[in-house]
This record gives sequence, C-alpha cells and structure tokens, in this order.
Amino acid sequence: MAADEDPEPGPLVRMFAVTGGRARPVGEAFDVIAVVTTIGMPYDPAGLSPEHLAALRVATRPTTVADIGTRLRLPLNITRVLLSDLRREGLVSIDPPAATAGVLNERIYQEVLNGLRAL
Amino acid sequence: MDYARSDGRSGALAIKILIAGGFGVGKTTMVSAVSEIQPLSTEELLSDRGVRVDDTSGVETKTTTTVALDFGRITLREGLWIYLFGTPGQDRFWFMWDELAIGALGAVVLADTRRLGDAFPAVDFFEQRRIPYMVAVNLFDGARRHDPVVIRRALAVPEHVPLVPCDARERESVKEVLLTLVRHAREMSRVGA
Repeated sequence: MAADEDPEPGPLVRMFAVTGGRARPVGEAFDVIAVVTTIGMPYDPAGLSPEHLAALRVATRPTTVADIGTRLRLPLNITRVLLSDLRREGLVSIDPPAATAGVLNERIYQEVLNGLRAL
Repeated sequence: MDYARSDGRSGALAIKILIAGGFGVGKTTMVSAVSEIQPLSTEELLSDRGVRVDDTSGVETKTTTTVALDFGRITLREGLWIYLFGTPGQDRFWFMWDELAIGALGAVVLADTRRLGDAFPAVDFFEQRRIPYMVAVNLFDGARRHDPVVIRRALAVPEHVPLVPCDARERESVKEVLLTLVRHAREMSRVGA
C-alpha cells in the first residue's frame, strides 16, 4: 500500500490505511449520531482488522457513531467506513437519530426538556 | 434496511443540535460549557472528494482535504443523548453543514454584536431548509449590549424565532439557550404537523 512506502506517513494517510484506502462507507448512508449495536460476533475474527474488532467491542452497548470514533481515536468518516463493513457482515445494527426516525414526538420533547432542566 | 426502521432496535435515541455562527464566535466554548466530554475536534476527511490513498501523499500541505469538527455530548439518561455539533465556520465547508443538518432537532446561531454579519449565512441556511433555529447573542466582555429589536432587524430574523442574549462560557446560560431551542422546535413541530 502506498502508505507503507512512506517512512513517516501523515496521520490521515495512516487512517486511510485502516480502511484500505476507502473514503466512503458501503451501503446506505447513516448519520454521525446513528446508534450502533453489536448483534453478532464474527466466525472468523482474522478477517477483520483490530479497528473493526474494537468497534464491535465498544458497540456491545448501544453507542453512537460519533462516540465510537472517539473511542477508536479515528475521524468520523473513517469510523463510518469501518462500521459499514460490519453492517454488511451482519455484525452490527445501525439505527437512525430520533429526528430522522420520526420518533421526536411530544413525549421525547418533554423528556429532553426535563432532562436539560435537571442538569 | 436498518435505516428505514422507525424505532431503533436498541431503544437508544440520540438527538442532534447544531451550534452555528461565524468563525471564532464562541461555538466550541458553548459546546464545552454543557458537554460532559471535552469537545472533540476531529480532523475530518472530506468524503465527497473521493480521496484515495494515492492522492494523499502531500496531505500535510493539502489543508483543503481536512476540516475540524467539534462535538460534545449530554447524557439525559441511559440511552438518551444530546449531541452538540459546532458547525465548521469556514464557508468552504458548507456541504458538511448539509449532512450535519439532516436529522437535527434544531440549531443555535451564535452571534457576536461586533460582527453581526458573520451570522447571516447561518440564519439563511436554516431559514431555507426550514430547520428550527434560534439566535443566541454572545455577550463577550466589553461587547456593547445591543437592543434585541435592532439585532433582529439587522439579521432579518422573523418574529417567531427566539433571539436571546447568552454567555457562551456559562453552563446555566447555555442550558437556558438549549431549553429555548427545544421548546421552539417542539412548537414548530406542532405547527408543521
């Protein structure tokens, strides 16, 4: 890979190496605050990168794309590429944000207002 | 597809609020004031450019391929979070706003009375896309206190849009701003329904 030829690749080059040079997620787009949940473990972990496996571990509890990126110390776009791989393999579910899902109803608004007041 | 489901399999919900405004107006400060995590400034790659490894050899000098994106988080309860995203201040990153704006509950346009004009693009953006927004006028030390009526007129902000003073450094003040936005967004959803 091109990144390996450079003795001191920049941080972004290294990150692209994580995705095998891919800048776009596969499949349907998902939000930076979509909620990711691990729903299966791979039969053959060798087929996945350490970053893929780390993401699976983080998402055993429902976690947003943004937080997974933070935990993995990877930019969000790179994180999305990795998560799209895991979705394709059927290992994670990715649920849209409340507003996109159309569940931002009276009850949620009230819960958000109460929660903010209680901070 | 997972994306089309109307209720999350996990039952967890994340809500997105955008903090917009001109460069250096205090967006990151505002996020810090209420976030339970240090606002993270990730170097984002511009996914619409189709950048490939082969093209990134000169990455350190090609600053146009990255953009900083700040976000913070507030946990309201287990499985209900608010994420605050500071929108990129530079005009050339408008396309990122488009993506961030999808599925947002609403937006705070942070304005500085010394540079009111910097808030125009953000006001325009949310008006055009019918995204609930409000204006928070950041009262910096030494900033002249302007008449809200004058500011509203200067920014051409409609009457129904909340316009409040705030101190982006103060947690309570920012909380008040967010409460105002959520109430406004709820009002808009009732009207629009």
